Amino acid sequence: MAAVLPARAGRAHVSEQGFVLLLPTDVYISAGAACVALTVLVLTLLPDRAVSGLFRPVATLRWPLWTGARLLTSCLSFAGFLALLWVGLAGPRDPLANPLTLVVWTVWWIGLVTLQGLFGNLWRWINPWTGPVALTRRLLNLRPALRLPACLGQSFGILTFLAFVAILLADPAPSDPARLAGYAGGYWLFTFAALLVFGPRWAARGDGISMLMRHYAALGLFGRLRGRLALGLTGWQALHRHPPRAGAAVFMLLMLGSGSFDGLNETYWWLDLIGINPLEFPGRSAVIAQNLTGLILANALLVAAYGLAVWMGVRLVSSGIGPGQAFCLFAPSILPIALGYHIAHYLTSFLVDGQYALAALNDPLARGDDLLGLGTFYVTTGFFNAPDSVRTIWLTQAGAVVAGHVLAVMMAHTIALRRFGDTRKAALSQAPLALFMVLYTLFGLWLLASPRGA
Amino acid sequence: MTDALKAQTRRAALKTLALGGAAAAAGANLPLWARFAEAQTSEPIRIGFQVHRTGIGAAYGRWYDRTTMAAVKRINDAGGINGRMVEIIAEDDGTDPKRGAEVVEKFANQHNCDIGFGTLFSHVVIGSAPRAGELKLPYFVVSEGHHVASGMLNRYTLQPGITDVKSQVIAMAPFVSGNLGKKVTMIYPDFAFGHDHRDYFSAAIEAQGGEVVARIAIPPTETSFTKYFPKIPRETEVVYHVMVGPAVLTFVKEMGEFFGPSRPEMFGFIDSLEAVDIASPGLEFLEGTYFWEGNPRYAQPGQTSHDKMYRAAVGVDENGASVSDPKDISTYAHMFGCWETLNVVKAGMEAAGYQGPADRPALIEAVEAMGDMPLSDDHPQGAKRFNGKTHQVFGHQYISKVENGRLNVAHMTSIEDTLYPDEVDYTQQSF
Repeated sequence: MAAVLPARAGRAHVSEQGFVLLLPTDVYISAGAACVALTVLVLTLLPDRAVSGLFRPVATLRWPLWTGARLLTSCLSFAGFLALLWVGLAGPRDPLANPLTLVVWTVWWIGLVTLQGLFGNLWRWINPWTGPVALTRRLLNLRPALRLPACLGQSFGILTFLAFVAILLADPAPSDPARLAGYAGGYWLFTFAALLVFGPRWAARGDGISMLMRHYAALGLFGRLRGRLALGLTGWQALHRHPPRAGAAVFMLLMLGSGSFDGLNETYWWLDLIGINPLEFPGRSAVIAQNLTGLILANALLVAAYGLAVWMGVRLVSSGIGPGQAFCLFAPSILPIALGYHIAHYLTSFLVDGQYALAALNDPLARGDDLLGLGTFYVTTGFFNAPDSVRTIWLTQAGAVVAGHVLAVMMAHTIALRRFGDTRKAALSQAPLALFMVLYTLFGLWLLASPRGA
Repeated sequence: MTDALKAQTRRAALKTLALGGAAAAAGANLPLWARFAEAQTSEPIRIGFQVHRTGIGAAYGRWYDRTTMAAVKRINDAGGINGRMVEIIAEDDGTDPKRGAEVVEKFANQHNCDIGFGTLFSHVVIGSAPRAGELKLPYFVVSEGHHVASGMLNRYTLQPGITDVKSQVIAMAPFVSGNLGKKVTMIYPDFAFGHDHRDYFSAAIEAQGGEVVARIAIPPTETSFTKYFPKIPRETEVVYHVMVGPAVLTFVKEMGEFFGPSRPEMFGFIDSLEAVDIASPGLEFLEGTYFWEGNPRYAQPGQTSHDKMYRAAVGVDENGASVSDPKDISTYAHMFGCWETLNVVKAGMEAAGYQGPADRPALIEAVEAMGDMPLSDDHPQGAKRFNGKTHQVFGHQYISKVENGRLNVAHMTSIEDTLYPDEVDYTQQSF
């Protein structure tokens, strides 16, 4: 989804892609992969204590749970959500003028998910369900009517997440305001009902959005530790949690797999594979089946490749850990890669659509207001037209991908150290997974450098 | 955008929120009760704007939108059409033919639009026009495609604000053969867009006594071109190139490396480099080469007052870039079509005494009856001649030479250079 909003190639339009093709991306790609490989090497040489110390958080001020305040902000968020739904149905039809489209796809999906992954659990404060559900329970004196069977694990969460990704990737018009209002309103109602029926367990196991947010929050710099606000290196919270169950581990891989395919599906390589001329892309409605098939295949392939890597890893050392257990154990190390992809993939969209969102914020009631003092405001894409700014943008994207992989390698090594006790064993068990991550770095950077047409 | 325009366009967009769909954009400065009173007496003219907001046409869509809003502001500032304000209802077609048809349906059935207007990409026009015909919604396209004049569409589809690619291409042949050379090698992408250039230009250059000595079709997914250049025959005097897509800059760079300082004459279509700074590093090879331009991107010596006014209204500087960002190059060669089409719609509605959807056939007949349109603020690109039978407008074309990293007009064709025999007579079709 440079898909939902942008995709800035075109019949006659060169765009930043033209300048990217002129950059020495093969050099950058090798350097990026080498950086990840070097991290692997350095980790095997560093003393154990130094490595595990990297993820030790620093506690700061006392930090209560803020339960009451969060219910209040959730209700406010819900009110804002309702207002946005109304704007989606009754406001402008132009997706780049309609606040619903801009808030959902640009502010929330691109912006908030990124902040959630970088800083911590912001979603907890603006989740539009917790407040209304608590209020409804209190008013109607309702208890959860059913128990979500434990044997189903996180399967509902996986399904709802895949449904979300399917809309993002394969729906013909996910940014159409009225259509989006239908999807968003429908999903809210469905989740609201499920939360009333099944209780908070639905949020942890059935609601793909909440699960995604919870997993990204585990990467945040800030988290709560023993009643205090703690600060640590990206990943410290994930390493502090219990290893995920099988469903959650698969979910983490789907986060990366779906994000990766939502990039691959725009490349010339993919379009050529499905027999589509990238210079005359026939539109999203012509590739619905191909995108859905690709999404499933890409995820299946990723789960298999990762599974193979961890299986080979535990085979290399006599650890007493089964492959299934290892699969779950190391899955959180995939999260920073997924976040890196998210940032890299959406950066260009955000640079443009963020401006449209700003314009809407500057004049929210469409009265000609200038609340932010922007004055005459034209949306620009001039930064796609100059080699210097294109290089900066590309290297920022590549930096996000490489940083994600470096953190992933560090997290995986730390997990292995904690589990296996000594560096040699940890390094050996990590060798296949480390190779997998180096190769994935190559893939991610290749994606960024490839010409795109959809 | 000027504050006033920004206010107006945002108001137009959000007016249903503020006023339950009743008031015209221009009425929004009035107190609420007055807006309702005015709205009761004069409903706005609703123009459904089918725009490439997302998908591969989005870069064009942004400038089509900006030009359209500027044109509507000017029309409304001057009193609207038949005393009624114009309201733009923009719908994203996703640069997708199927959605294009759905958007046309929404214009007719949901938004009560008087007409549909706007879109550029040929496949979207071809996908949408049949639905417009079925719904009897006048559909004014700004697409350059030959599909209107070829007869493949219908009486409800018109292209009165931008010339078609066939007329553009054939009008280049006299200049190319007279000034650059008679032995031409064509390099084009191997799909419909490139094939049109190949077929129209081959015939036109032969009519001028020239000859296409080689036709080099490049697969659309190609990103490196060095292996194609040795196919250019030695006898070639002119290379005619129309490459498009992200690999264009690579194409130019590699061609420069291949030829070095001793190149043949070069002629291209600005479509390759629309919205790209000609002075970009890597494009030095283009110095001294020629391009077709639909409308000269750089303000020329002797610039008309009309071009000056048009640039100011849209917010484009004398280099064809946004006034707010000199690197943000506009799609200047094409977007004037939106401005001129809306002025044709205004003139047509006024001539037809347009009151509402019942007058749609009268509007079409009024536009069909238009002939010559003089260079003016309504037609800042140049004079036009509308052919009512083929529903296609004809106009001057510009050939510019790259000099010191800017495009200077070397030749302006006559309208006669662009004409070709009619291929259809839509006026014979019933409404």
